[in-house]
Amino acid sequence: MKIKYKTKKGLIERILLLEILKGMALTLRRMFSRSVTVQYPKEKKKLFPGFRGRHALIRDPKTGKAKCVACMRCASVCPSQCISIRYSQDEETKARKVTSYEIDALRCIYCGYCEEVCPVNAVVLTEEYEYSDYVREPLYFDMNRLLKNWDDFVAKNKIDPRSYINPFLRPRGASTGELPAGKRIPVPSDWTLEGQVVWKNGKAVPAKEALKS
Amino acid sequence: MEILWILIKILIVFGVVMLHVAYATYFERKVIGHMQVRMGPMRVGPHGLLQPLADGIKLFFKEDVIPTPADKKVFYAAPLICLISAVSSLAVIPFFEGFAIANINIGLLYIFAFSSLASYGVVLSGWSSNSKYSFLGGLRSTAQVISYEIAMGLSLVGVMMMAGSLNLTEIVHAQMNSSFKVFLIPQFLGFFVFVIAMLAETNRTPFDLPEAETELVAGYFTEYSGMRFALFFLAEYIGMIIMSCLGVICFLGGWDGPFRVPGLPFFWFVLKVYLFIFFYYWVRATLPRYRYDQLMALGWKVLIPLALFNILLTGTIKTIFG
Repeated sequence: MKIKYKTKKGLIERILLLEILKGMALTLRRMFSRSVTVQYPKEKKKLFPGFRGRHALIRDPKTGKAKCVACMRCASVCPSQCISIRYSQDEETKARKVTSYEIDALRCIYCGYCEEVCPVNAVVLTEEYEYSDYVREPLYFDMNRLLKNWDDFVAKNKIDPRSYINPFLRPRGASTGELPAGKRIPVPSDWTLEGQVVWKNGKAVPAKEALKS
Repeated sequence: MEILWILIKILIVFGVVMLHVAYATYFERKVIGHMQVRMGPMRVGPHGLLQPLADGIKLFFKEDVIPTPADKKVFYAAPLICLISAVSSLAVIPFFEGFAIANINIGLLYIFAFSSLASYGVVLSGWSSNSKYSFLGGLRSTAQVISYEIAMGLSLVGVMMMAGSLNLTEIVHAQMNSSFKVFLIPQFLGFFVFVIAMLAETNRTPFDLPEAETELVAGYFTEYSGMRFALFFLAEYIGMIIMSCLGVICFLGGWDGPFRVPGLPFFWFVLKVYLFIFFYYWVRATLPRYRYDQLMALGWKVLIPLALFNILLTGTIKTIFG
């Protein structure tokens, strides 16, 4: 495309600066439109499922402990290497037991890879985002703190921990066969290919139809 | 007695103008905010109404830093020159019939003289700060003010010719007696040139090259802080008010309006001044800064010839019909 840097302008257009008047009409119209500002501490935006906030270890409703099996996938996938896990291994059964699970929230970049890769849905990024502090210590989460984060999140948002799901715990679009057993959890109907709706040519179309054409 | 009355007038005008300056900053932020689909100040008081007060207190208690290599005496004097020349111009402005601190016969010339003097403050502050940004800002201001002073003076020559006087009260009276009631209609070319030159004269966007934030940090007052910075700020806003008043007096018929508002003889004057000030904000919210060569080209190639043509036209018509 050839860009015209100097458009041809008539004498009147040049002298009376018509283009400027057009711009001024636009700003005047905008002055009477609603502002888009969200007055943060007073108003808060609605968070969508999959919002990546404070880290937590999901407390297993059966055992009351973390679900982590020390597979080390989260620690290896973490781009900022902020997860450190230590575990002990039983000599005979080779079963691993987590002795410490730590996340340095100050190094975390909130990419969500850890929760996506976790085969048992142990680690999760909750929708809590107001946890800044003046010192570093409270932002270095150890295992107890991570479990407490989960309890706080459940209590604050009145979530049923048995049915909690977000798009990282059960990646959208992935077929059940591709997923490890721990991630094969039931999803809401609009997450499945049947229930999903996509936008096409300005209209809401079922995802299946959109894929066909 | 006469002196006492003048002193009272000075106090009234000064107080009212200072209050207006404080709230001009607030409304500027509000208007520009809403034009950019934001809200502007909202936190200090309901809808941020106490923001100017908070700003004032903050500026008052800020540390006053003076750079070591600065030329101290000139550095101290520069903001005062700016402020004094801006405030002095208020003396000749007739706010309503018979209310001007000094009703002198060279009112228009007086305002020109003081608005030129104000640019000395800018130039000297740029020079004395001993900083490259301030220096460049000061230089730009010199060139800009020289260019646009001419256009502005010439744009008002048409008004002088029609009114036959430099006295601001007389100019308003001449408009009241003219057939259009305002000089805006016969002098539309002059008004057009005046409005653009007015923006340039007060260093406002799109002609804010002397204080171009993106290039020069803050331009000529980069090195100033605290109360001295506030003085420049005051001077800029008073300058805006003066130029608005001048525009109202010379082109929009001063305090005269379609009907008389009982008890508020200054009603129409103030309303028109607010419109002008709103126009300042509106332009600032809309236009980006001119490039330096564009600024010069607009001034010398468009505005000055236009103003000269306007004088020629006014003179010709006056000779034939008057």
